[in-house]
Amino acid sequence: MAPLQKRAWWGLGVGLAFTIAFVLVFFLMGGIETFDKDQGFRIIINVLWVGGLVAHLVILNLTLRKPRMMDERDKMILDRAPRIQWIAVVFTLAAWVVGLNEVYQATGLIPALYLYVIFMSVLIVSWLAQSLGILIGYWRANRNG
Amino acid sequence: MARINNQIRRLRFDHDEMTQEELAQRAGCTRQTIIALEQGKYVPSIELAFKIAKAFGVSLEEVFQYEE
Repeated sequence: MAPLQKRAWWGLGVGLAFTIAFVLVFFLMGGIETFDKDQGFRIIINVLWVGGLVAHLVILNLTLRKPRMMDERDKMILDRAPRIQWIAVVFTLAAWVVGLNEVYQATGLIPALYLYVIFMSVLIVSWLAQSLGILIGYWRANRNG
Repeated sequence: MARINNQIRRLRFDHDEMTQEELAQRAGCTRQTIIALEQGKYVPSIELAFKIAKAFGVSLEEVFQYEE
C-alpha cells in the first residue's frame, strides 16, 4: 500500500471517529440552542473542529514533505481527489438548503447561527471527502490503470 | 487503440533480479508505481520513463514500446 493511501485510510478513520465524537458532543450538550447561548460550549466546539482541521493539515503536510512518500502517480491521484470533495461539498450544501428550508419555511427566518454550523460541517465533509477521493483514486488506478 | 508496453519486469530479472524496491529507489518513485507499471496499469511521465531506463542503463526504447 502506498504511503499516501495509508495516510488516506488513517485520515478517513480518524476523521470519521472525530466527526462522530463531534456530533455526539454537539447534541449531547444541547445542540444548536445551547450552542447559541452558552459561550463555553461554543469554545469547546470551536476548539474541536479547528483542532481537527489543523491536525489534518499538519498530517497531510508531513506526508507531502517526506521524501519518497509520494511520486508522480500519487500526486496525480491526490490532484484528482478534489473532484470528490467538490461533489461532497455540493451535496452537503444542498442537504442544508433543503433541510433548513423545510424546517423554517413557515417562519421565513433561518437563525444566523446556522451559517456557522454549515461552515463547520462543510469543512469536515471536505476533509473526509479528500481521504475518500484519494482511496477511490487508488481503487480506480488499480482496477483500470 | 494505442498502447505503451514495457519490459520492466524482464529487465529487472536481467539485472540480477533487481527488486521492485531497488528499482523504485533508483528511479525515484514508489514500489507501488513500479508494480502498476509492470501490470500495465500506469503510463509514466517522460521524466520517470527516462529515469527507469537510466536505472537499467539502457535506452528508453528498450524499456518502453509504443504499439498501435
